[in-house]
Amino acid sequence: MKMEDMSLSGLDNSKLEAIAHEIYSDLIEDTCLGLSFEIHRSVKCGYFMLDETDSESMKDFEIVDQPGVDIFGQVYNQWKSKECVCPNCNRSIAASRFAPHLEKCLGMGRNSSRIANRRIASSNNMNKSESDQEDNDDVNDNDWSYGSEKKGSFKPAGAKKRKSEKNPNSPRRSKSLKHKNGDVSTNSDPFKYNSSSGISYENLGPEELHTLLTTQCGVISEHTKKMCTRSLRCPQHTDDQRRSVRIYLLGSSASLPEADGSTDNDSFDVVEGQTLMSRLQWDGSSDISPSDSASSKASTNNSDTRKPKKKKPSLLAVASSGGSNKKKKPKPPAPLTPGMYSELN
Amino acid sequence: MASSMNKDAQMRAAINQKLTETGERERLKELLRAKLIECGWRDQLKAHCKDVINEKGLEHVTVDDLVAEITPKGRALVPDSVKKELLQKIRTFLAQHASL
Repeated sequence: MKMEDMSLSGLDNSKLEAIAHEIYSDLIEDTCLGLSFEIHRSVKCGYFMLDETDSESMKDFEIVDQPGVDIFGQVYNQWKSKECVCPNCNRSIAASRFAPHLEKCLGMGRNSSRIANRRIASSNNMNKSESDQEDNDDVNDNDWSYGSEKKGSFKPAGAKKRKSEKNPNSPRRSKSLKHKNGDVSTNSDPFKYNSSSGISYENLGPEELHTLLTTQCGVISEHTKKMCTRSLRCPQHTDDQRRSVRIYLLGSSASLPEADGSTDNDSFDVVEGQTLMSRLQWDGSSDISPSDSASSKASTNNSDTRKPKKKKPSLLAVASSGGSNKKKKPKPPAPLTPGMYSELN
Repeated sequence: MASSMNKDAQMRAAINQKLTETGERERLKELLRAKLIECGWRDQLKAHCKDVINEKGLEHVTVDDLVAEITPKGRALVPDSVKKELLQKIRTFLAQHASL
């Protein structure tokens, strides 16, 4: 230190050093004084001790790090195992799935009326074989193997057995509605079905086919690949569908049987609005006109996307034109695979 | 003797004035403050004050008490490295203004 000072100024190096120390202690005292004022102020204002807590109260807030408890020392709550019992269908459902289940079970939401109709129909229906007819779709449907596979207790031996064991109010059952377009409207009168619904047309001889087609609707379901066995005037399928099935099975010379020609227009007015709506929803995927089948020949996927646009103008025309034969057209259509008819033209 | 004392006092006054005028004093003070907080000097003094205040009672503490407690302890607790750094800065300042 001395060396530096001497080099700096020859005469006053000791004096300069003294002055430097003096300045230094001045600064320290200033800082001490500042701190004193600060502490005094905080004491008088009452915030000096604020950051103080006694160690005992700190222990209450300690973070617990032990297995089996959370950081507050509470026992880990295993909500996963909790199950709720549905008040409607008495199944026990995982708590996380309960809300969506209840929505379906009680029939709220978008499909409520359809589900409700179906539930009323099936609960009134004591004849199990009838509801089995409806379920033939489900049994053969690849999209819908949920019930028999998921539930081990339900033997998938036969549709009737499975059916009778199942709770009629379960929303799982109504799920099949998504695939079975328009079946709902017939549920109010389940006795229209006869026990041989779902005839597979491949097994029939031409004679049988002919008699069958003159007495029954005969439209081939998309899912079951079986024929509708209701009357020729069954409201589920359109005349066009019936016609194209006959053309497909009997040849181009075949036409709709007489019964259809005499169909009374008025009888369909009730379902007109509903079926129009349903047609809109289903994009007119059935009801295949020759022009459509021609376009679907190339690629069915492509035509599927185009169809709604094509159909809508004609739909409006149908809605506005009254009493003509066309009016019967918009029936709740059973979805037909477009490719099935591609051979027609 | 009297003249040299007088000269000394004059010189000190001139240096202090220079320190203040150039703002060097404020700079040094700020540096010292930062260094002391950094090395925990401030927390040590605060803890010491806490004991004193608890002893005397919150209501009866005066500034004089605190100054009397803090200043000697504060002087003693300043780390050597801080002291050296500060003295070096002061000397540099003095050397720059030695022509006075």
